[in-house]
Amino acid sequence: MFTHNKKFKILLSLMLLNSSAQGHHSFAVEFTAEEKIAIVGTVTEIWFRNPHVRYYVETENSSGESENWDVRTSSPSLLVRKGWTKNTIKVGDKISIFGHPGRDGRKLLSVISIKLPDGSSLGQNYPD
Amino acid sequence: MINYFTKKRIFVFEVIWLSLSIISITEAQSIDGKWMLRLDGADQLIDNSITIGAPSDNEAAIIGELSITKINDEWMGHVEGGPVEVKIENENIEILIDSRDLAGFVFFRRLSGKYSDGTMSGSFTIEGTTENPEYGGIWRATRKEVKTRNTASNPRDLSGIWTPAPGVDFRKYSMDLTEKAQAWHDDYIDHYDQPNVRCVSPGIVAIVAWGAYPFEVLNSDNRLTFLYEVDSEVRRIYLDDKEPPEYYPASGMGFSNGYWDGDELIIETQMLEGNVRDFRGEPISEGARMHERYSISEDGDTLSAVITLLDPDNYKQPPIRRRKWVKNPTTEIYPYECDPDSFYRQMYNENKLDMYFERSHRRQIN
Repeated sequence: MFTHNKKFKILLSLMLLNSSAQGHHSFAVEFTAEEKIAIVGTVTEIWFRNPHVRYYVETENSSGESENWDVRTSSPSLLVRKGWTKNTIKVGDKISIFGHPGRDGRKLLSVISIKLPDGSSLGQNYPD
Repeated sequence: MINYFTKKRIFVFEVIWLSLSIISITEAQSIDGKWMLRLDGADQLIDNSITIGAPSDNEAAIIGELSITKINDEWMGHVEGGPVEVKIENENIEILIDSRDLAGFVFFRRLSGKYSDGTMSGSFTIEGTTENPEYGGIWRATRKEVKTRNTASNPRDLSGIWTPAPGVDFRKYSMDLTEKAQAWHDDYIDHYDQPNVRCVSPGIVAIVAWGAYPFEVLNSDNRLTFLYEVDSEVRRIYLDDKEPPEYYPASGMGFSNGYWDGDELIIETQMLEGNVRDFRGEPISEGARMHERYSISEDGDTLSAVITLLDPDNYKQPPIRRRKWVKNPTTEIYPYECDPDSFYRQMYNENKLDMYFERSHRRQIN
């Protein structure tokens, strides 16, 4: 007969309800794993520092209103090893960003890929 | 009145039932105990954006300790010290293991297989969402061998820069917390309480198992020095039974002594302050200890470690982590400077600063 560890089953149920609620640098509690979106906007501010490199990007929504996105990627030392330095993206650059959006409608984006003004990609290849 | 044929049928049924029970008891006794699990996933590309300079082959087996016991007719399982669901029916076995990926997403590995001739084996599948694809594959479990301490010390040269390599660690998600630890953890909000989000070093228990950054080993008389890139932390490992000085404070990095057990390096760390173990925020009590066993490959290019946290106040079974690194002469330890501006700015923008400071007591763990 199959037997079950009831305590673990209860734990699993709670975890499935909250499966993205914990994680590295609290990544999963802030961003959706299931959802991926793309935004296009102009870089207004750059923080090339730990714990995460951050770009502020101004976009325009479908109603023509301006929105400010807090776009986050990895640690500087991990990025610069791949040639992605603090000068790779400059204030005023118009870039496209593909990533996981923040939870609860917050204007946060965790970068999967960035398309630069010259068409080249950072991170993974920018999706067509 | 029961006739002869009915009596015979009942007798045959009882014999079969008894035989099955004996087989079942024998299997149960055989399955009980400690095992070493090995999972080999299907071929996959290793993401070098996370594992800097690590080999991109598929030598990324996942390894972990599995323990199985039967309490009150119910099977209990643990992998790397954390609870797992175990189902056993005759020779069939199914194990459901929760893990988290490098991005922090929780997923499950479902192992299905059979027990036969002192081993368990089968296939596994992945359930849940992960940042990068995780693939199923095959698994095997063999009895865990009891290690005895070697008497002859045979030190190896660990000096150099070591880059994290893929695989090995289950990244087991849930641990078997004591009632006290569970009560504390229930009120943990990692986004606000995690030390590293506000640029505070998470301490050696988290750092040693960190999956992204390299560290450098310096060799000197009676001492090894580990320079970790993450949080620019420095760790001294005394090889001469040095005791902590009087009034030496407990800290996130603790006080480490090491010795060579044959050609493996054992490190024992004490003087740890109250902290959190990992990104999930399970507590570490002041007085906890960490035990590490490092082994280096024959060619000197691969370093492996088994890391065990000994903290019975908080864990019914010791949490275990496994790491693997490759020697990387092409990199250096990069600076790691941290600015918590983004952490506080976001709370300011969302009117959560008051809430954060009202939770200050949550960031003092004893």
